[in-house]
Amino acid sequence: MAMDVQFSKIEGRSFPYYLTVAVLASFVLAGFVATLIMHEHGLYLSGMTNRVPWGLQISMAIFYIGLSAGSLVVSGLYGVFGKMEYKPFARIAAYLAMLFLIAGLLSIFTDQGRIDRVFTKPFTYANATSMFSINPALYSGHIMICVLYLWALFKEKGTLTKITSLVVVLWAIGTHTGTGAIFAFVPRELYNSSLLPPSFVAAALSSGAALMILVIVSLSRATGRHLDNELVIWLGRRLLSIFLLVTLYVLLIENAHRVYVAAEHEAGMFFLFGGTHSFFFWVGLITVGCVIPAVLLFIKRTGTSLRWTVFASILVVVGVLFERYLIVIPGLIHPPELFPGWEIVDAVFLEGVASYTVSYLEILQTLGVLGFIGFAFVVGLKVMPLAPNEARALPAA
Amino acid sequence: MDRRDFLRKTGTALAGASGALSLPVLTSCADETVHADSVLEGKRWGMVIDLTRCRDGCTACMDACRKTNNVAFHDDARWDVHWIRKATIKPKDESVGHEEKSVLLMCNHCDNPPCAQVCPVQATYKREDGIVVVDHHRCIGCRYCMIACPYNARFFNFKHNPDWPNKEYPQRSHGVVESCNFCAHLLDQGKRPACVEACESVGAGALIFGNLNDRNSEVSRLATGGFAKRIRDDWGTKPKVYYIGL
Repeated sequence: MAMDVQFSKIEGRSFPYYLTVAVLASFVLAGFVATLIMHEHGLYLSGMTNRVPWGLQISMAIFYIGLSAGSLVVSGLYGVFGKMEYKPFARIAAYLAMLFLIAGLLSIFTDQGRIDRVFTKPFTYANATSMFSINPALYSGHIMICVLYLWALFKEKGTLTKITSLVVVLWAIGTHTGTGAIFAFVPRELYNSSLLPPSFVAAALSSGAALMILVIVSLSRATGRHLDNELVIWLGRRLLSIFLLVTLYVLLIENAHRVYVAAEHEAGMFFLFGGTHSFFFWVGLITVGCVIPAVLLFIKRTGTSLRWTVFASILVVVGVLFERYLIVIPGLIHPPELFPGWEIVDAVFLEGVASYTVSYLEILQTLGVLGFIGFAFVVGLKVMPLAPNEARALPAA
Repeated sequence: MDRRDFLRKTGTALAGASGALSLPVLTSCADETVHADSVLEGKRWGMVIDLTRCRDGCTACMDACRKTNNVAFHDDARWDVHWIRKATIKPKDESVGHEEKSVLLMCNHCDNPPCAQVCPVQATYKREDGIVVVDHHRCIGCRYCMIACPYNARFFNFKHNPDWPNKEYPQRSHGVVESCNFCAHLLDQGKRPACVEACESVGAGALIFGNLNDRNSEVSRLATGGFAKRIRDDWGTKPKVYYIGL
């Protein structure tokens, strides 16, 4: 059934709008200055060390990449499975996905030791076996496809929209698998897991769907444009809940395997019960990020309420943020077992369990990238007809 | 600029960027001969570390390395760089013994180096003579090699290093990764690595260096002699640093 959905730019002349734009722009400026300072003096101004050489920037980068899956969900529903009632969100989803992918690249970019070389060396000396060569190609290809898809949506080109939305879905699976493979394909005990790419996809779908819910609800509230609650509730109850179960399932298998197999037992126990990160895992990721929102979405009373669905979505986004941190950090602070049966009792280097504390400059860098996403989004709404005039559920057959 | 214009321009820019990015990925497989160093052909450098001869409290190899290669020391364990480092180990199970042992850790110059596998700019690569080196002029400082090295043998220059004791070897800027290169610059002059010389000069002779391809060399005799072990060679990295007495 064909539905005529109208899109229009937002007015964007109110005081709250200009204030938002100004605040976001100041975030970008702060992040820019923080990056300049850090690269003038050296990355020792971050919390990273020679034992934990990746930190907040990389965790945030993979978090953003995962959030871009919101477009995978929407274009899958509308373009591939023909659920026309989700057409109103296709433009926002595609535009946001593009921004999140750029944000991911931006976070990785600002984290490099020699930013000045990033514009030349990766192009001239790309390494086909490096996930850091393959992924930027996946991300920039993904951004390109999003642009083409957006163009097809703006032009209302039916066939091209169908084709590109299928390509977006397939390419997005490649993007998220590739991102998981950055970690899964290196010989570090807590990284080296073939379940990591699929679990990255599952968590990406969860956070992507949750973020779409938050974006469409807040957009409708901020602009006063009509949004049928049923559309949001269906996304939460029928999709997000299932994504959460899959995420939980993969996490369960991955960790049960680690603890069960003798060779990985010690590392598995370190992950599950070995420090602050274990608290993040059990409380932040499992309880707050997966179980509570899944229960809220499955119980009929809360799962059919807009407020509770929005609340559950917030929890999921926070939980997946913890999940991304848990991919990067515990695998680095856990010491490799260089001498099985022996323990290192004295050393000139940090050989044992390491630690990582985020520095203020890293937080400013993160704010900068978040500011960029927000800024480009709110300005995009004003200069392009991204937002639907209204979004209504299909009348029951 | 209207929306159509904006989209067309962004699209063109992104298409160009992405095309330029993916092309070298697709063609880089054909790039095998770039780093060939024909002078060193036929050599396969390796080292044997005889822990039974290594002396407690002696830091001769570490000091010589630091001086020869201008390796950064900031007196802060978080940012110090070590090409060769010492650690003391003790059996976990007391029934096995209580005896502490001093070990040396360094880049293993793996035949299967995970660091070179993951380097996005081929700044880390294995030379024809088997040495794993970093091109400091190409490294972008992404630190993926440090993530991939299971021996934690790679170090990042978090901070500017003001010391430059050996003017014949370059300083590194902050923002690049480095690790032991078997003193490749000395080998190219027909000399031996600084740590090996230093160990011999203090009379310990615990570091034996040479060509593993030469069956008559002391290093290959010791490495294949049945007493030598490599650190975690079950990881499949095929290290070229062997240990006796581990």
